[in-house]
Amino acid sequence: MGMKIKPVIEPDLSISIGKMRLKNPVMTASGTFGYGQEFEHFMDLHQLGAVIPKGISLAPMPGNRPPRIFETNGGILNSIGLQNPGLEVFIKERLPYLKSLKTNLIINFFGNTLQEYSELAQRLNALEGISGLEMNISCPNVKCGGIVFGSDPKMTYRLVSRIKKLTSLPLIVKLTPNVTDIKVIARSAEEGGADAVSLVNTFRAMAINIHTRKPELGNVTGGLSGPAIKPIALRMVWEVFQVIKIPVIGIGGIVKAEDAIEFILAGASAVQIGTANLIHPKTGLEVIEGIRKYLLQYRFPHLQNLIGLLGK
Amino acid sequence: MVRTSEDYDPLLRRPFSIYRNYSTSYPMKDKRGHLTILYKKVGKGTQKMITFQKRQKVNLIGPLGNGFFIPPLPSPSPIILIGGGVGIASLSSLGKIFRHEQIYVFIGGKTKNDILCEHDFPKRNVFIATEDGSQGHRGTVVELFCSRLRRFDRNLPHHIYVCGPEGMIKRLSRMNFPQKWTVHVSLEARMGCGFGACWGCVVKTKDPQMAYHRVCKDGPVFSLREILWE
Repeated sequence: MGMKIKPVIEPDLSISIGKMRLKNPVMTASGTFGYGQEFEHFMDLHQLGAVIPKGISLAPMPGNRPPRIFETNGGILNSIGLQNPGLEVFIKERLPYLKSLKTNLIINFFGNTLQEYSELAQRLNALEGISGLEMNISCPNVKCGGIVFGSDPKMTYRLVSRIKKLTSLPLIVKLTPNVTDIKVIARSAEEGGADAVSLVNTFRAMAINIHTRKPELGNVTGGLSGPAIKPIALRMVWEVFQVIKIPVIGIGGIVKAEDAIEFILAGASAVQIGTANLIHPKTGLEVIEGIRKYLLQYRFPHLQNLIGLLGK
Repeated sequence: MVRTSEDYDPLLRRPFSIYRNYSTSYPMKDKRGHLTILYKKVGKGTQKMITFQKRQKVNLIGPLGNGFFIPPLPSPSPIILIGGGVGIASLSSLGKIFRHEQIYVFIGGKTKNDILCEHDFPKRNVFIATEDGSQGHRGTVVELFCSRLRRFDRNLPHHIYVCGPEGMIKRLSRMNFPQKWTVHVSLEARMGCGFGACWGCVVKTKDPQMAYHRVCKDGPVFSLREILWE
């Protein structure tokens, strides 16, 4: 036959965050992916750009009283309260499996004081098999849990610059949307030396059962995630992208590749899949494939060509 | 965990117990490899499920969690099942497993329309309670069980299996079961994922290491004595 087969140039999905190289821009959002192993029956975890397991503190955290989860229109309210077994148990029981994955492992961590953050960063820095750190300064569900640091630009700067001195690992700072101006906090994180910022964590929210006349969550308030928050998260990523030079990682209600592409066009170098992991565990892999197809369809050779294209 | 809608509305999957399952080598051809879920329309998810068509593909994840403890059979100890409302669905398969044992089944519901699965158990040992008295004993299933409690020998081991609404389980937990009796309860909870990732469906236990256990993965079956009600 006289037909010529056009060579298909496989698009390059890789990106860098600090010295960390990711084969694709799709990560899992901390707190929605357990410790990775819960997902091994559903998907090949090695294919993800990075795995971010549930957040770790120095000491074990019991978490909040139930009910901890409530479904709303297009979203979920949660008040888990950062339940985790603490660093020691994490290293012994969870890290061996996570380290065995053939992808980047980013450890999400948080503390109540500068001292706790510092000690965690130092100890994590000394461990083998970790590619990067994500510092949570944004959990809405615990009194301390970092939000004190994440809602004050000076505190953000102090914390980030201190932690940056204590670790040689790439440092991502996870931001809360529950502030007047997220751009100010993002800039403080950049000035403090962060290698990237990830946004957004959940929005403080609540629901009331009118029949029992009680809150639907044991903790009264919680954090809203899921498709309902996507447009707000997207706007925040877009705004932050305009004012900083370090990579932005977009999070908020991504359930399909099209959502992720919107975030990338708005300026995200990478994305995290959160709530969707709970509903359709292999969403991350489908998002990777969808981005690849999109790049092919519109003949973009590199993912980089797409990042922040909206503003160019 | 059943996905009731492919378009993320409702967003989360819905948890159900397996009512019946037939292996791929089951003698009756038309039932081979089948799985049955018994549910009641209560909210957005089950509302979607009643619109499912025959032969429609349904996306579900399972089986998940731990399942009931089954003692070596034949069991020298009597078996007691206590089910409230649709909770009886998860005990139905135990009726089959324990069909040759000494078994007593207590079924409760608000009205006679809420009494399900009574024919899944040997008839002579089924005891029914309805709150409006439309079938069997008038009152709750826990009251009915209590009224017959003295017929069981407190000094001999018994295996009790429970599934039902939280109020019923709480009432049972206030009873003083003899030490030799084991009481297994299958809990219901609002769940995020169903496979242990989100820690949204926890119950408080007496475990000194970690108070909150996941209903979806560490359960849904717990020893009644292990649970701490808040």
